[in-house]
Amino acid sequence: MADVYSTLRKPLVLDNKGPIDVTNDITSALESKPTGLWWFTFLFSFSLLCVGIASASYMIATGIGTWGLNNTVGWAFDITNFVFWIGIGHAGTLISAVLFLLRQKWRTAVNRSAEAMTIFAVICAGIFPVIHMGRPWLFFWILPYPNLRGPLWVNFRSPLVWDFFAIATYFTISLLFWYVGMVPDLATIRDRAKKGIRKAIFTILSVGWSASFRVWHRYEVLYLILAGLATPLVISVHTIVSMDFATSVIPGWHTTIFPPYFVAGAIFSGMSMVLTLMIIARKTMRLEHYITMGHINSMSKLVIATGGMVGLAYATEFLTALYSGVQYEQFVFINRAIGPYAWAYWTMVGCNVGVPQLLWFKGVRSNLAFVFIISLLVNVGMWFERFVLIVTSLHRDFLPSSWTMFKPTIIEIGILVGSFGLFFTLFMLFIRFLPVISMSEIKGVLGYGRQQAGGAK
Amino acid sequence: MEENKKYWKSFDTSGREGQLQPDSGGDQPVPDENSPVDNLNRRTFLKLAGFSVAGSAIVAGCSRAPMDNAVPYMNQPEEVIPGRGYTYASTCAACSARCGILVSNRDGRPVKIEGNPDHPISKGGLCPVGQASLLGVYDSKRLQGPQINGSAANWADVDSGINSKLNEIRANGGKVRVLSHTINSPSTQKAIDDFLSTFDDTQHVMYDALSCSAILDAHELTHQTRAMPHCDFAKAKNIVSFDADFLATWISPVEFTKAYTSGRSLENGAHNYSHHTQFEGRLSLTGSRADKRVRIKPAETGAVVSKLASLVAEYAGEHYRHQGGTLPVDIHLLEELAGKLWQGRGQSLVITGSQDVNVQTLCNYINHLCGNYGSTIHLDNPSLQCQGSDRDLLKMSDELESKSIDALVLLGVNPVYDLPNGDVIADGLKNTALVVSVGSHPDETSELAGFVCPEPHFLEAWNDYEPVNGLFSLGQPAIQQLGNQRHAIESLASWSGQANKAYDAIRSGWREQIFPHQSAHSSFDKFWNVTLHDGVSAVTMNPRQVSAFNRNAVKAPTAEPRAVENGFELQVIASSSMLNGEHGNNPFLHELPDPISKVVWDNYASLSPDAAERLGVEEGDVVNLNTGSKSIDLPAFIQPGQHNQVVAVAFGYGQSGSARFGDIGPEWIQGKPTVGDNGLIGTNVAPLMSLDDNGLAFTRSGVILTPTGRKHYIATTQRYDFISVPEKLRPPGAGVRAIIMETTLPDYQHDPSSGIHTPHHPDAQLWPDDHPYEGYHWAMAVDLNKCTGCSSCVVACQVENNIPVVGKDEVSRGRIMHWMRIDRYYAGPHQSLPQGDDVDVVHQPMFCQHCDNAPCETVCPVLATVHSSEGLNQQIYNRCVGTRYCSNNCPYKTRRFNFFDYKRDDDSQNLMLNPNVTVRSRGIMEKCSLCVHRIQEAKINAKGRGEPLKDGDIQPACQQTCPAGAIVFGDSNDPESEVSKLMHCPRAYRVLEEINVRPSVSYLSLVRNRDASGGGYHG
Repeated sequence: MADVYSTLRKPLVLDNKGPIDVTNDITSALESKPTGLWWFTFLFSFSLLCVGIASASYMIATGIGTWGLNNTVGWAFDITNFVFWIGIGHAGTLISAVLFLLRQKWRTAVNRSAEAMTIFAVICAGIFPVIHMGRPWLFFWILPYPNLRGPLWVNFRSPLVWDFFAIATYFTISLLFWYVGMVPDLATIRDRAKKGIRKAIFTILSVGWSASFRVWHRYEVLYLILAGLATPLVISVHTIVSMDFATSVIPGWHTTIFPPYFVAGAIFSGMSMVLTLMIIARKTMRLEHYITMGHINSMSKLVIATGGMVGLAYATEFLTALYSGVQYEQFVFINRAIGPYAWAYWTMVGCNVGVPQLLWFKGVRSNLAFVFIISLLVNVGMWFERFVLIVTSLHRDFLPSSWTMFKPTIIEIGILVGSFGLFFTLFMLFIRFLPVISMSEIKGVLGYGRQQAGGAK
Repeated sequence: MEENKKYWKSFDTSGREGQLQPDSGGDQPVPDENSPVDNLNRRTFLKLAGFSVAGSAIVAGCSRAPMDNAVPYMNQPEEVIPGRGYTYASTCAACSARCGILVSNRDGRPVKIEGNPDHPISKGGLCPVGQASLLGVYDSKRLQGPQINGSAANWADVDSGINSKLNEIRANGGKVRVLSHTINSPSTQKAIDDFLSTFDDTQHVMYDALSCSAILDAHELTHQTRAMPHCDFAKAKNIVSFDADFLATWISPVEFTKAYTSGRSLENGAHNYSHHTQFEGRLSLTGSRADKRVRIKPAETGAVVSKLASLVAEYAGEHYRHQGGTLPVDIHLLEELAGKLWQGRGQSLVITGSQDVNVQTLCNYINHLCGNYGSTIHLDNPSLQCQGSDRDLLKMSDELESKSIDALVLLGVNPVYDLPNGDVIADGLKNTALVVSVGSHPDETSELAGFVCPEPHFLEAWNDYEPVNGLFSLGQPAIQQLGNQRHAIESLASWSGQANKAYDAIRSGWREQIFPHQSAHSSFDKFWNVTLHDGVSAVTMNPRQVSAFNRNAVKAPTAEPRAVENGFELQVIASSSMLNGEHGNNPFLHELPDPISKVVWDNYASLSPDAAERLGVEEGDVVNLNTGSKSIDLPAFIQPGQHNQVVAVAFGYGQSGSARFGDIGPEWIQGKPTVGDNGLIGTNVAPLMSLDDNGLAFTRSGVILTPTGRKHYIATTQRYDFISVPEKLRPPGAGVRAIIMETTLPDYQHDPSSGIHTPHHPDAQLWPDDHPYEGYHWAMAVDLNKCTGCSSCVVACQVENNIPVVGKDEVSRGRIMHWMRIDRYYAGPHQSLPQGDDVDVVHQPMFCQHCDNAPCETVCPVLATVHSSEGLNQQIYNRCVGTRYCSNNCPYKTRRFNFFDYKRDDDSQNLMLNPNVTVRSRGIMEKCSLCVHRIQEAKINAKGRGEPLKDGDIQPACQQTCPAGAIVFGDSNDPESEVSKLMHCPRAYRVLEEINVRPSVSYLSLVRNRDASGGGYHG
């Protein structure tokens, strides 16, 4: 650390890296043959994906009846998974757009993969509204476009239609943001590539990037605009997803706290997922110098903050129910806490409110193993949050005659597993073929915490 | 309806009797005798069915010509317009009560059975079994043609085989017996008599699997006439029933339900509101409606009846002393009851379902003392709905055992299955020279019969019935016979040596026996045609000779048998869907939830919660029921309200025919079979019953129950049974859900709106009120005080709306498809959770509430569920993509999702689909439409007539069939309509009114005839 001159800030990139080191470190992984660890992880993820494809195909061929749903509980794993994955996607936009606008320079090391995570999570999420339909082959009927079916229009009062707009917008902006941010790096790979298919692909992907001053200028302006556009989406997407529930009449769903509660929960789960992925990427791709303990530390703090918000929301829900004087509302919360799904509720509270408190301790935050386990548990907790929300509200609603229980089938579990398979398969492909860290941006922060801008050498 | 009612016009237009000609001349498609009915598809079927049902049914029976081509009509048959429905009056033969029906016929096939409002027995109502019996017509697993020794044969060979054996018997003077259930068809009876008259040693033995023999035997003792009295529940102000389930299974439930509800009218101050006391060991549907329900063991019935008789005798100044030890019930209760009975002399009814003749005579004694004979009980014109004699049966069974019978003709009976000594009977059949089985389905008995001579379904044949002395009801075919079956009358006639057509036999019988007794019509043809049109004709027949009450016949009941240590009393009960087991082949009935337990596709050992705890069993644990000599295994089911020492098991299950349901329901990797380990639906409990000198006994003391440790899953449609939430999950101060509003009679008389709790709710709305309802605004009112929970509406709705059967596994997964369900709640005093085992029961029909602010409508992304300008919440199947969001958001959970492609278990059942209602594919949501097709049809018809629609023109299927008249449909914009009046009556409320979904369905509070509770429920 002899080259460090600043006493106020710690450098964002360790080991005194220079720009050429950055390029070499990050592109070499893409230019060499994949490691055994990569193959193992990829094939494992891919086999999970195959389980999911088989389960979903069987379900589509046979009927929704292959899930554990019934007349009372119309949604369970399907929409739980949907909300879960949408939530995961949130951190990407938060890191890339919000932290960009707030000039949080530490984001540069993680934003690329966080954005990739967003894209993949939204892909995973987007599958569920389609396959949860009784007739998924007609899913395009929820798209408002001039048609020959009457013409019949969609119901703009339905939150599912709002969902479609929210998710489609979110996916489009996120994809653009990710891609635009990647163009300079794609050009770097293009320039390093020898002749051949690789060169051709990256030539197309880098859309004629010339690194001229004018191109850089336009690029920076576009990136800023996209960041500005993406920022409200962090709030809007999960707000609208929460309205699927909030606009209904079902006790436990019909509540105005949902938009902020969902957004906080989404960021919470997204941050944990970023942590999970960063810790894996750091280890497997040897990026310790770029993804430093400082990053882990910052994100852990975000997890504590958003976890606190989620905990507050849980408490508020109970208070509101108590205060409402509505016996149906009160019953739903009592039933959540001590009814037949109490195990799921307390798993949720334990993982989302209890476990993250450990991160108050610096010793825990700086222990990768602890942070990794906590991030996994938070994700488990957040999955159960959606499960509890959906299933416990539905399974015992107004008329006791309709009360029932939900029990998943192996097909549902297969599809859940498959969605993780899809996510990690995409992620493994991503780290294999695209630069995991934004080279162009990280080069801009090499001097952070050092005297000379642009690196020490 | 009535305007459309048609009688057959196609025969006898020339006035030449016996030479019937189809009005369509030679255009009738006549089926090929060799056509393989097994391969029946739609095209073949239409060929077979043709359009003019009447003529073809007759002619085809007479002359079956080989057919090569289907020829279109050269001349359109009169009044037949393809695609338009017609209704024909007929008589239901699903049980022996003989309710009047109207058969809706579309394009030559019956698609729905409705009650005939003009019929004095059923007065427009119909029970679930009657509703479901339509399916039997399209059952391809029926016996399609005659068999000799189990292999298909033709009728000529069968007849020659039977006749050669019969001639031998005639020559040798051998014993010939005919065994049947109650026959109340004059023509069939005559055919049997004619047949038997050709032999020397004969007997016609009638028995009922659900025997009421003791009632008849008791009247033979007390009134010297072996007859089933005709009870009038409408006039009875005090009804005391000792385990007679008269609202569901006992003798003539539809008739009794009609009368019972009319005797509980709340109009004009409710001064004649009846009081109903039920003594029983199990919880029956009738018991669930009782104002006072007392739990006693069946074996204790005698003591209680005897004590009651002694108390009433005291009032009457007669001498009868009850001898016995401790009474199982509170003596004050009986004293009060005796006082009431005595005060309301001539206006009470004491009945018992007991098979103990002494108990029945005591019952007659009480009725006699109270002067009920002649007022609420009629013996001069008795009921003929149950005529079986257990004595005759026992005698015949002994004869069979001693192998002394030479020929036995079994008319629609299955004694091997439904009698306790079925094994003995089976043995006897094997050793009888000639056994002829005349039935509809292959069963345990037909397997052992040398000759099987199947009968057509009652909707394919001519029939006549006399359910009550002097009341003649006609049954006419509504479809050309689908198989090669032959009417029992024709079979018997051809074995008597005087072959005759059923139609001719019935008509000539009527001309000779019935026509002379009436005076309304001068010509027989006119009489016949009017009767055929109306379905029924009341004729003054000679009343029965009834002697004065014979006091000496009254004997104290046989002492209660000594209870075996830890022994239970077994009570074999009739289930309201299986009845005597005749309909074991009907999937609609198997999937109809039991009105009390809500169990489908099974019978089970019903135990009280206390008894289950003692035995250490839970629901689904298989227990062994051991009577000492015989034992069967049954899954336990925990039934609140049952006596702690009674185990109740439903009769009619475990038939060999039910093996057909092995593959009903969707097949997928985690799917489970509908049939149990024995490959059948349920277990036959008949072997545990007994048949001896005391008759057929349905109860048995000292049955030992032992848990086997095995499990058998039981499928129910309702998993939580109470109006109040579980104690430990109860929010402070709010345990009861304001779903059921009830009050007591004194409270009601004081304040008709007592018990009604109207929540205060804001009228704020998110969406604009864009439905002004300028024309009609359809609404429905359901009177909880009338509804008995019989579930007839459930089946009517299922048949009307092409609702599939899903199988046991799907039901257990909570996916039953019924649009109409009856929620059954148990409650204790003041609707709290029941304390102890005594429960109050309430039945609440629940279906789509057609909310004006429908929560389902706003959430559907594709506008598949929308609001009509007339207030209907419409489901557009084609538009539905199946997000199930609407169902999630339905506070009543009345929407039903097609989780699989639910196929009919039998392709030919597709022929009974109602062409007015779309068949739904998988992935689609469906629900009650308030029979929108009937609304449209009525509107079109009214427009065609150039008249405005009248109140009552539209009756949804549920309303039409309801024997209690609990459901009323109409236009709430019309202040004069019945539904408007009900909606605005003080008893009206809407379920979950506080969430402001504004349902179009109103419920009317339940009124129990009890002491004032102090204002009913206030939540």
